[in-house]
Amino acid sequence: MTRDLIIGMAGSGGDGIVSAGESLISACAAEGYHAIMTKSFGSQIRGGESSCRVRLAVDEVLNPGGALDVAVALNWEDFLKFGAELPVAGKTVVIYEERTGVAPDRLPLVGITPNEVFAVPIGELARKTAGTERAKNTVVLGLLAGWFGIAEDAIRRGFRKKFAKKGAELVEANDRAFEAGIEYAREHPLAVSRKMESVPTPGAKLLTDGNDMCAAAAIFAGCRFFGGYPITPSTEVMQFLSREIWKYGGTTLQAEDEIAGIGAALGASFAGLKAMTATSGPGMSLKSEIMGLATIAELPLVIVNVQRGGPSTGMPTKSEQSDLFQAVFSAHGDVVRPVLAPTTVADTFDVTVEAFNLAEQYQTPVIVLSDQELAQRKEIVDPIDTARFELVERRRPTASELEDYQRFRLTDSGISPISQPGVKGGNYLGAGIEHNEHGDPTASGSVHARMNEKRFRKLNSLRRREDLFTIEGERESPLALISWGSTAGVCREAMQLAAEKGLKVKLLVPRLLYPVNEDIYRSFFTSVQAGLVVEQSHQGQLYRLLRMFVDVPADVRPFCRSGANPFRPLEIVDHLRNLVLSLQRRLQESLQPQE
Amino acid sequence: MQATAPVCAPKDFKSDLKPIWCPGCGDYGVVQAIYRALAAVGRLPHEIAFISGIGCSSRIPGYTTAYGFNSVHGRALPIAQGIKMANPDLLVLAAGGDGDGFSIGGGHLPHAIRRNPDITYIVMDNQIYGLTKGQLSPTSPKGLHTVTSGYGSLENPVNPLMYVLSYGAPFVAQGTPADLPGLAEMIEEAIRYPGFAFVNVQSPCVTYGEEEQQIKAHKASMKRLSELGHDPSELIRALDVSQAYGTELHTGVVYRNPAPPPTFEALVRARQQELAPRALPPERILDLFLQE
Repeated sequence: MTRDLIIGMAGSGGDGIVSAGESLISACAAEGYHAIMTKSFGSQIRGGESSCRVRLAVDEVLNPGGALDVAVALNWEDFLKFGAELPVAGKTVVIYEERTGVAPDRLPLVGITPNEVFAVPIGELARKTAGTERAKNTVVLGLLAGWFGIAEDAIRRGFRKKFAKKGAELVEANDRAFEAGIEYAREHPLAVSRKMESVPTPGAKLLTDGNDMCAAAAIFAGCRFFGGYPITPSTEVMQFLSREIWKYGGTTLQAEDEIAGIGAALGASFAGLKAMTATSGPGMSLKSEIMGLATIAELPLVIVNVQRGGPSTGMPTKSEQSDLFQAVFSAHGDVVRPVLAPTTVADTFDVTVEAFNLAEQYQTPVIVLSDQELAQRKEIVDPIDTARFELVERRRPTASELEDYQRFRLTDSGISPISQPGVKGGNYLGAGIEHNEHGDPTASGSVHARMNEKRFRKLNSLRRREDLFTIEGERESPLALISWGSTAGVCREAMQLAAEKGLKVKLLVPRLLYPVNEDIYRSFFTSVQAGLVVEQSHQGQLYRLLRMFVDVPADVRPFCRSGANPFRPLEIVDHLRNLVLSLQRRLQESLQPQE
Repeated sequence: MQATAPVCAPKDFKSDLKPIWCPGCGDYGVVQAIYRALAAVGRLPHEIAFISGIGCSSRIPGYTTAYGFNSVHGRALPIAQGIKMANPDLLVLAAGGDGDGFSIGGGHLPHAIRRNPDITYIVMDNQIYGLTKGQLSPTSPKGLHTVTSGYGSLENPVNPLMYVLSYGAPFVAQGTPADLPGLAEMIEEAIRYPGFAFVNVQSPCVTYGEEEQQIKAHKASMKRLSELGHDPSELIRALDVSQAYGTELHTGVVYRNPAPPPTFEALVRARQQELAPRALPPERILDLFLQE
């Protein structure tokens, strides 16, 4: 029996392959499986090739995984265009539309012999049973249900519900197409059965992606204003909020540009609301001036950056972790602002709520560095107990503080009570220009120095937040992985796979990337001899950032590469093993007697 | 809105900060006119949010006792709109110079107009960059010699009045500190107008401005639209009068839409109220993702 199955499917635009993936993951959720689904498209706006990967498992799914267990090609040439996104290996069962013209063993699968190959008359089965080739994706679902025992009843319920509005005829046609797929699989059994184990007691599950999770978390955290501008791959955050936030007395503003989007959000925060903007790299560049204004005006603001491949337009639909430097450094003047990164779709909820809490507590812009991989992948998530969160509100002035109100009063903590228009006695001038405690503009060097010191000092207590870091795996092991964002999920599985091969590893995952918590890293590194900082950027930005602040052991090395294709767990294991081997060689060489 | 007896005198809106403006700057007159208009409107300082960008004139919120936000260059309007949507009960003023409003922030103006929030936007138009010491501005006349156009400007100026009228601004006026009572009156009317109100003030720069743009020259050249028999309820007449920007100094209300369109915040509130019954409790928002 199989407990973990990776399915990759590709076809042309009209084949409905992504919609088949969505039906599949939705049925998996109903059956209590865990799953992650990622989608990938050609560059065309409509039509062209499209693909999806669904990894389903009885246990938690940590990442989209590596080579496919099942490859479904409605058109083999389209399938191959996705290259490393849909890797076929020796373990793969290949299912393809027999009319594709080119057999899969004839096209660039050089050196790879798939486990089994089935040329299936998918289109013909669809035509015969449903009267149209548009039912091809339903036939595919039947094949998957038949061969792999995946959620047959749930899939059936799913498409019946989906097509119910369109009439009984369509429902029956899809029923027949689905049965045809199942029947075909029955008549052509796999050489070795790969039926999925069922989940003994399926509990309720959530199904969503990182962007929707982020938006829902914002509403939960009390966000009541969103200003933004459409940009891939963050737009779904605004889309979700534009449906939901009004119900809570909130507003979304699709602004004329990125600057106006963050400007309006900052205005709403000045007026007392929790506010947010979301964007991707190019938008972050445009917003950076107003982020600086939020810093000096000491206004809470959450800025979500769903990272994509850069620089410039780069690769808008592909994931990368190359905006860390931008998040940390894209400011003129002396600026420190918290940068947080979620590692899973579920984690996106926690991290977004945390971002609002930090913004309110410290009266500062907070950046959430999501990435396309997380933001746009669908994931089956266990229900989240929202009662475990405390929501923080900005410190507002008391009646006595309003008697002689000083907006930027130099307090011990560096945090000054913050008033808002409408509050009598709290009137002040917010400004991008340097100001004294009262808020009056100043060109005094000593006031500027004190204010800079205050704006840094107020974040000091953030150093005590050890809960923003997790150390997983073999805590005593001298071998370590450090990773952030979606790549952390790949490292989690790599750590498990390494353990199976006798390689004990621990993993440090920071949710808080900046300010760098030097104490946490220092204490972590005391027991580390070697390791890898794994991230999806050309430079290895976290690795370099850590080296600015901490003495990183010489044998902790960057393992980084540019974006598009996520890391695969096995390549991290291989890299770890090579690291260990090279250290062993070095040790042996050092023990050789000198001649 | 309290519209009856004034609760504050003009002096109650004056802050203790000493303006950075040059002696004789037109902006002194503008801030005086604003004090008077606010007193006449009858709102209290803490009920007012006054937003600006960057430039000499953008210092103006600090010279009032209202809540002020002296933001970054060109971004007064987006910030002001966020404030107005967050708290529609506030009286929201935005102000800045011609460079701030028509050059670096010029892209925001059409969008503020088409949304129509109840915000009054006062531009102190001096046809020059004063704070950075005398460069060409978007309203500088063609041929003007400045430190960045030593051989004379090759560009036509923006016509602020045509600009806002063509995007549908429902209230448009032009004034000069040379006629302080007239300016105060039109700012008051702009504030009272329920919708986006634009006031272009020809506010002389004494240091870098041209001779014919000074207060003395304004007093001689200004033409009150009311005395010219102008009917501000006619858009086509308003556009006609606006064509003379740069050649004639018309003062008064250029256009006043007699049937004010609904404000943005009214539409926002209506939508919030309409959808409120459909809200899940926030702590149960994740139920939206629940799979049966």
